Amino acid sequence: MQFEAPETVGAAVKLLAKASGTTRMLAGGTDVLVQLRSGTVEPKLIVDLKRIAELGKIAPEKGGFRVGATVPAAAIGENVKVRKMWPGVVEAANLIGSTQIQGRATLAGNLCNGSPAADSVPALIAASAVALIAGPKGRRKVPVEKIIVGPGKTSLKKGEIVTGIVLPARPARTGDAYLRFIPRSEMDIAVVGVGVCLTLDAKGVCTAARVSLGAVAPTPLLVKAAADALIGTKVDAAALAKMAKAASAACNPIDDKRGTKEFRVKVAGVLARRAAEKALKRARGN
Amino acid sequence: MARVMLGGTLKSLAGNTPVLEVDAKTIREVLDRVGEVYPSLLPILDRVAVAVDGQIYRNQWFAAVKPDSEVFILPPMAGG
Amino acid sequence: MPLEGDIAQRKTTFKQIGTRPIRPDGVDKVTGRARFGADASAPGMLIGKVLRSPHAHARIRKINTAKAEALAGVKAVVTRDDFKDRNDALRDVLVNCMARDKALYDGHAVAAVAATTAAIADKALKLIVVDYEVLPHVTDVDEAMKPGAPILDKTMFTNNVEPKPTKPSNVASRCEFALGDIKAGFAKADVVVERSFKTEATHQGYIEPHACLANLGPDGQGEIWVCTQGHYMIRNTCADLLGLDISKLRVTASEIGGGFGGKTTVFIEPVALALSRKSGRPVKMVMTRNEVFRATGPTSSTSMRIKVGTTRDGRITAAEADLRYQGGAFPGSPVELGAMTAFACYDLENVKAVGYDVITNRPKQAAYRAPGAPMAAFAVESVIDELAKKIRMDPVDFRLKNAAKQGTKSAYGPTFGPIGLIQTLEAIKAHPNYRAPLGPNQGRGLASGFWFNFAGQTCTTLNVNLDGTVALAVGTPDIGGSRASMCLMAAEELGIGYEQVRTIVADTSSLGYNDVTDGSRVTFASGLATIMAAREVIKKMCARAAKTWGISADAVTWEDGQAKPAGSNAGNFKPMSFKEIAAASHSTGGPLAGHHEINADGAGVSFATHLCDVEVDPETGYTRVLRYTIAQDAGKAIHPSYVEGQFQGGAAQGIGWALNEEYIYGKDGRLQNAGFLDYRIPVASDCPMIDTIIVEVANPKHPYGVRGVGETSIVPPMGAIANAVSAAIGVRMLELPMSPPRIVHALDSRLKKAAD
Repeated sequence: MQFEAPETVGAAVKLLAKASGTTRMLAGGTDVLVQLRSGTVEPKLIVDLKRIAELGKIAPEKGGFRVGATVPAAAIGENVKVRKMWPGVVEAANLIGSTQIQGRATLAGNLCNGSPAADSVPALIAASAVALIAGPKGRRKVPVEKIIVGPGKTSLKKGEIVTGIVLPARPARTGDAYLRFIPRSEMDIAVVGVGVCLTLDAKGVCTAARVSLGAVAPTPLLVKAAADALIGTKVDAAALAKMAKAASAACNPIDDKRGTKEFRVKVAGVLARRAAEKALKRARGN
Repeated sequence: MARVMLGGTLKSLAGNTPVLEVDAKTIREVLDRVGEVYPSLLPILDRVAVAVDGQIYRNQWFAAVKPDSEVFILPPMAGG
Repeated sequence: MPLEGDIAQRKTTFKQIGTRPIRPDGVDKVTGRARFGADASAPGMLIGKVLRSPHAHARIRKINTAKAEALAGVKAVVTRDDFKDRNDALRDVLVNCMARDKALYDGHAVAAVAATTAAIADKALKLIVVDYEVLPHVTDVDEAMKPGAPILDKTMFTNNVEPKPTKPSNVASRCEFALGDIKAGFAKADVVVERSFKTEATHQGYIEPHACLANLGPDGQGEIWVCTQGHYMIRNTCADLLGLDISKLRVTASEIGGGFGGKTTVFIEPVALALSRKSGRPVKMVMTRNEVFRATGPTSSTSMRIKVGTTRDGRITAAEADLRYQGGAFPGSPVELGAMTAFACYDLENVKAVGYDVITNRPKQAAYRAPGAPMAAFAVESVIDELAKKIRMDPVDFRLKNAAKQGTKSAYGPTFGPIGLIQTLEAIKAHPNYRAPLGPNQGRGLASGFWFNFAGQTCTTLNVNLDGTVALAVGTPDIGGSRASMCLMAAEELGIGYEQVRTIVADTSSLGYNDVTDGSRVTFASGLATIMAAREVIKKMCARAAKTWGISADAVTWEDGQAKPAGSNAGNFKPMSFKEIAAASHSTGGPLAGHHEINADGAGVSFATHLCDVEVDPETGYTRVLRYTIAQDAGKAIHPSYVEGQFQGGAAQGIGWALNEEYIYGKDGRLQNAGFLDYRIPVASDCPMIDTIIVEVANPKHPYGVRGVGETSIVPPMGAIANAVSAAIGVRMLELPMSPPRIVHALDSRLKKAAD
């Protein structure tokens, strides 16, 4: 096994592009190290990204933020500006693992691990976040919902790295929220996760909405039908009920050790409604 | 004569016997008498627990048994 | 009986017993200096790893280890061929450590290697070729009992049933405990409730995985450093399995990161010794968490039917239980203890409990605090709760009206001596928790529980040092703060400071045999031996003082840590302190030591009542425990903090067992959740502050009145929480764990039923 810790994005891309066999990138390592210990992967090459200075920062970007690929969840939680603008994203990031894990785990890592149950991903999708990608053919930007294509699989091409996540400027009267269901109070993995972001006009009518579900299908979902149930309404009980139903209908879960199909479908609707209520409250305050 | 009763598996092994009256001054003597009457119990009699007047003993041959004692022979027991 | 006379010297007033000094092992544990099972190493040490069956049930046709043996760095490979077959009581223990003709469960050890590094050992495991013939399997207890179920052992015919079976079965045996006439009893009942229950297997969840360092030389002399609840058990079992003299194997117990009954048997230790013998090198083995879940000893999963009848005014007339416990691939589930304890809290004329010990393709169960009792108690206490509701009687009053007390003929036979069940019920009734207002979706439940407590073989030595400090050696690994309790009892007897006593867990070659730390026995039994050893030292000290003064030993008494002339007739001498006598010991006859060996009995049965309030989210089934209060009879609390810790620990484990912990097997018979992510033990924030009330009804068989406390506290929680959840959601929960999907399903089924 080869371990490299390059200091530039270009060097990292070069290493990954010419590597043969399994490779892994190391940001927080909270998934990679577990995979190594359990023997599920034996990578030929591990590229540590933490020496690349530009990836370790949260920087302003067109009224929003660029969160570097190695910024840990705890640092995001401590950033007052991010917390104020995208509280749903921050609450999702600060649910990953435990306090100790949050000191290492990153948004980019949570995304690139490709888990359908990743906590931060539905919140990022709801917030219209964009992944910044660097690769052998240059840089590109891709909406977060286009990254995960199956359990453990991403749309990244050979040699490509997610260098950061862009959280856009938040429109006026917009609020986001993330809720997840776990059987205990903390340190767990989502059985269902829901990110909601919605925008109101001056009269309180919903003009835009995004609803994203995690852990209920092979990939995190962006559920247009659920958003449509809210748009054009005052997000009243009837709209919320319709939206919950649409969220449940979009689920394509499996029966597994973490929950039955029946349970996940039902709870997805419940949490979608509760997350929308929370986002609504925030939107009204903005 | 002490009244000896068998509990659980032992009772079934001995053919669901009712009360047995034995002349014994110690647990060892009780077990010897019981073994004579029910040879089918012999393989486990050195591992059983014995309750004499409510007090449970394990591997205690010489605990006293009184003529009016109530003795229960119970299956081997262990805790965690 | 040596005890009777000494028990007469009962103490009821204490200077140090009942105080809460800092535990002597605390600093080592918080600074990381304490050495646990995996913390030992030796020059030339190899790493041992086990190859485990991926199949739930398979015949092992052939094992080819040639490629593994040829790998550079591999020093030994062992399989079934390296262990002598046997047909005695240890057969199942051996087969569980290393499969013979068949792999009987997912995770069953099939081969093991020792290599110079862990990576080489892992690689070697992949080079071992096992030719399996996969067989049909069964993991559910009810399925295993059905006609036509895959049979695990064709030579097994159910014991104790008439007529004698002619076909092999997965039911190893049947047992029955009965009093009176249940038919007549049920005829007298005004209200009868009959319910069926299921509980899934749980694991003790100790944080430290099994680990050992074994060294067995060609001369047959060996040593093991091991994390265990009983190093003498390790010594005797391993010596027997490997054909060694007991004296040639020396076992040292490491510091232990939890046991709860799960470390009362052997798993990797005989394998490590065999690898060491074959390689001629020390071999260290440390289980992974995955191995701990798949291949150590979880509890039984169960299926139960309970029927209880009562008169309208609240007197139980009859009670009946059918208990079916699977104990993994070998006979020996604790169903008999379940049958004995199921109705132990009640004073009943007519009672019958029948148990079936069933084998399935799961790992061999091991003890887990009060083995067998918690599942039966969950079922019985659920039915008791339902009966109380049906006759509109307060659940505490209903239990009080039927509670076992001194003189009650217990449901398992013997008559109870002084016991404290009623006191625990009254304490719970008087506690503010019992009257705290409940909000929407909240419910309250309570349950009582019983455990026997055991004592057993015990041997203790107390050595007095020249500076007046004391080295106390016990042979019972400290799994719950017992060293602090031993120090307190020695200090109390000797009249010296707690800090002056240092207690160690001695290795097997330094002290006579001690039973495993189990059955809630250590504070009782090692404590008793410590008190007796201290009294022997006092006697010797009085004799040394008498010689110093030139008076008769009878004329010296011991008071407040000093030898004194018994009265003015004895002479007028300045009292000699413990310290002074110790300092002079070299000139007054040599080292001073006390020793006591005993097969102790009478650890004193104990009862507890638990009360809890929960809130259930009706849309998600998420349950939060809001309040939790425990009252338990401890006889006498030596160190109240550790008694409370035992109570709270039982409740915390009970919260896990009740709400989320379960072994989940797939259709392929493989364990789906062999890790702490998906086997959900409670985290700290899942537990409220657990309030405790220590009831003290003295145990007449201990000089201070101590009873065992470690196990009873796991018996009531599942019943208490199930009663609270059922009250909160208005549906009776009959299966453990009451995980969110099960609760949502129960609620939806009720709605559906109402709609139909």
